[in-house]
Amino acid sequence: MPRELMSIENLSVIYKTDLETVRAVNGVSITLEKGKTLGIVGETGAGKTTLALSLMRLLPKATGRITEGRVILQDQDLYKLSEIEMKSIRGNLVSMIFQDPMTSLNPIMKVGDQIAESLILHNDEKLTKEQISARVEETLTLVGIPPFRKNDYPHQFSGGMKQRVVIAIALACKPQLLIADEPTTALDVTIQAQVLSMMADLKEALDTAMIMITHDIGIVAQICDYVAVMYAGEIIEYGTIQDIFDHSREHHPYTVGLFGSIPDLKHKTRRLSPIDGLMPDPTMLPRGCAFSPRCPKCEPLCKDQKPPDRDNNGHRIRCYFVGGAQ
Amino acid sequence: MTRYVINRIFLLIPIALGVTFIVFTIMNLTPSDPGRIMLGEMADREAVSQLNRELGFYDPFFVRYFNYVAGAVRLDFGVSFRSGRPVFEEIFLRFPNTLNLAFLAVICAAAVGIPLGILSAVKQYSHIDTVSRIISMLFAAAPVFFLGMMGIYIFSLRLQWLPAFGASTWEHFILPVITLSIPSAASLLRLTRSTMLETINQDYIRTARAKGASERRVIFRHALKNALLPIITILGMNFGFLLGGAILIENVFSIPGLGQLLVNSIRLMDIPQVMASTLFLALLFTLIILVVDLMYSFIDPRIKAKYSKIK
Repeated sequence: MPRELMSIENLSVIYKTDLETVRAVNGVSITLEKGKTLGIVGETGAGKTTLALSLMRLLPKATGRITEGRVILQDQDLYKLSEIEMKSIRGNLVSMIFQDPMTSLNPIMKVGDQIAESLILHNDEKLTKEQISARVEETLTLVGIPPFRKNDYPHQFSGGMKQRVVIAIALACKPQLLIADEPTTALDVTIQAQVLSMMADLKEALDTAMIMITHDIGIVAQICDYVAVMYAGEIIEYGTIQDIFDHSREHHPYTVGLFGSIPDLKHKTRRLSPIDGLMPDPTMLPRGCAFSPRCPKCEPLCKDQKPPDRDNNGHRIRCYFVGGAQ
Repeated sequence: MTRYVINRIFLLIPIALGVTFIVFTIMNLTPSDPGRIMLGEMADREAVSQLNRELGFYDPFFVRYFNYVAGAVRLDFGVSFRSGRPVFEEIFLRFPNTLNLAFLAVICAAAVGIPLGILSAVKQYSHIDTVSRIISMLFAAAPVFFLGMMGIYIFSLRLQWLPAFGASTWEHFILPVITLSIPSAASLLRLTRSTMLETINQDYIRTARAKGASERRVIFRHALKNALLPIITILGMNFGFLLGGAILIENVFSIPGLGQLLVNSIRLMDIPQVMASTLFLALLFTLIILVVDLMYSFIDPRIKAKYSKIK
């Protein structure tokens, strides 16, 4: 019995300015179970961060608009909530880790106070000051920072430590869902590994579901249960980690290309095989399949009409020619 | 920290030397006759040159400058040619008026400019924003003497609500303070708006929102405190400028302040008075900037850390 935590139904997001309309997310539907990790992979500009921000309702107010779709979190339609109700969810039920730890912390606030802030804002258990301070120390220990450093300021921490603090802020209220937007991109490889294994442990300990946004397929393989491949604001392939990483199965041509761009250590290859071309301009997406201009298997039909999702026991591929039950 | 303050105070010495040298040079390049000023037009030529000789006016330039500095070190800045009283007595007689004027004007400017700037930034591109931007642009560009004369015309001559000249009651200060604060308020509004906008787009503001902080909390706790540094700098500099730069307003409203004293002294070539007044203003300005710099370290722990490292 899957315990459903969040379902995103046909979500579309645009950025509208006087000059142009950017179609950042186009009809995304995914469900996420409690305690599971979903990886969202895709190139830069595929709409991953926009998707994450729209789940928190944190899109830039002046330009970002959710044009259709719903997000149901624990039987609540997030887009029907008032701003005050949404505030009590942010940081409490759902929290987010941002890409760049260097700039994600307030430079003039002690890190302990920044962690305590989310506890104070969502103080449903009526904790006293001492209890909050104890929780701050507990959370710091959890992410591997000595508690006595809570009175330090962000500039006194290294990049990896800062990202730990950012994670501590996100985990302070023990959220049901943690959205991590490229949490390790700004870190060097050794620290990346530390932070990732720490996140995996914490997820286990707190039974938190996680959406891991990344363009690093290695990270996905390491910690995700499900994978969604995003391209031009659409999810073009979705499945369990086994579905996606099993090369004997059929895959979306884009996914094939994505894996083709990774160096294979087992075989001696002279060159990588990247995908030709660039992602389509999100202000003028092709009428048919968004990948059709770059697709090696493209047929006239692809350019004309959007392909449907083909489902094979939960392994969904949005293509005319591959996937689906055999 | 203390060490830093002491270092900065020692820096006042070269500043004072520089200021006195420049002003002394300029004053000596313009023709003047102190004896004539002190004794009056009707005085005997012989008496005038006798007095000039006693004052050392016929000595070479560097000798005179050295004598001035030597006197200044003993806190003897000379007497005013015009009134015959010690120059600092003249300054302290008028300084309270100027201080009142500048202080009240800075308070007014901050009280109007900062809140409107925040409002303008938070409601970017709204009607409030557009209106306050246009008005602030107009007022930042309008010269103070024009605003002062308009104020006198409307509120003193036409409506007869406020006195136009002098500094005897608090009512005399209303018009000059408001006039003086308008351009600072306008520039402060524009600065607050732009720094707030810059701060609001920072990543840590998004982090604060993602924590579930209310918009009010995000603006005041997270954004404003970070945007405060440039605002305080400009506020301090405005205060310094107003202390010395109230010259126009003091003349428009006939307030016996430091600015007026300085202008009159220059007109009469009252060298000791000009020297002392400029020196006083320069040191005051430097001290205000020092206070501003020290306030930084209370706001921003990164700057505080830098000061401590000097030890």
